[in-house]
Amino acid sequence: MLVRAFCKEEKMSKLIMFHALECPHCKAMMPHVDRLENEEKIAFEKLEVWHNDKNADLMRSYRPVIAPKCGGQLRTPTFFNPESNDVICGEVSYEKLREWAMKQA
Amino acid sequence: MKKFWRCYVCNDIHYGVKPPEVCPTCLVKNAYVEISSAEAGTIMGPTRKTMSRAEFRQAIERFCEKNEFQVCPDTAKVEMLLDGMFANEQNHGLKYCPCRLVAKDFNEDLKLVCPCNFIAHETYKGKEDGECWCGLFVRRKK
Repeated sequence: MLVRAFCKEEKMSKLIMFHALECPHCKAMMPHVDRLENEEKIAFEKLEVWHNDKNADLMRSYRPVIAPKCGGQLRTPTFFNPESNDVICGEVSYEKLREWAMKQA
Repeated sequence: MKKFWRCYVCNDIHYGVKPPEVCPTCLVKNAYVEISSAEAGTIMGPTRKTMSRAEFRQAIERFCEKNEFQVCPDTAKVEMLLDGMFANEQNHGLKYCPCRLVAKDFNEDLKLVCPCNFIAHETYKGKEDGECWCGLFVRRKK
């Protein structure tokens, strides 16, 4: 049981939030992300993309998967599961983000 | 394909598929001749200067005046977006939207320069409370 829980946590921690420092939508989503981390133990790797070239290159490397689901572009914030290629982008409600994140478990 | 054009009377530079029939500055008809991008760059070079934050703010306010949208009334949000745009201009060359990421394809990335063509975007088109992706421009309330 403990192993299963650990695995679940391991998998969940692979979720990525691509965000930008000066993006108001990203700022608005941060409390939701923090709440998910606190209440559901769902961790996101938060990667800033305008001030970090490595993170930007990583996001660009997923462009073929992300862009078609985000209006044809790389938008922030983008929540991404690199294992399933599942994506949700933009400012959404806590409930919608939670539903998406729980689905990735 | 877009090209550079120069008014032979007043040296106005136009970038487009074809030149204006009438020069908007000196009003002379059929005054434009095609030139190279290098020549256009040289002509515009001495006038090259960055725009201050206040100047850009005024420019987008003027841009909105005759349109159905306005600059977002949320001052804090606008200031944050301007921070991002000016950081992007300094670090990446142009005032790219802070809420999207460049693809490193120049022509593609031009679509991300603020103001972008948000009228056609799904966040604005046909929406009463439409706004551009970052939220800098919002549809004016009727």
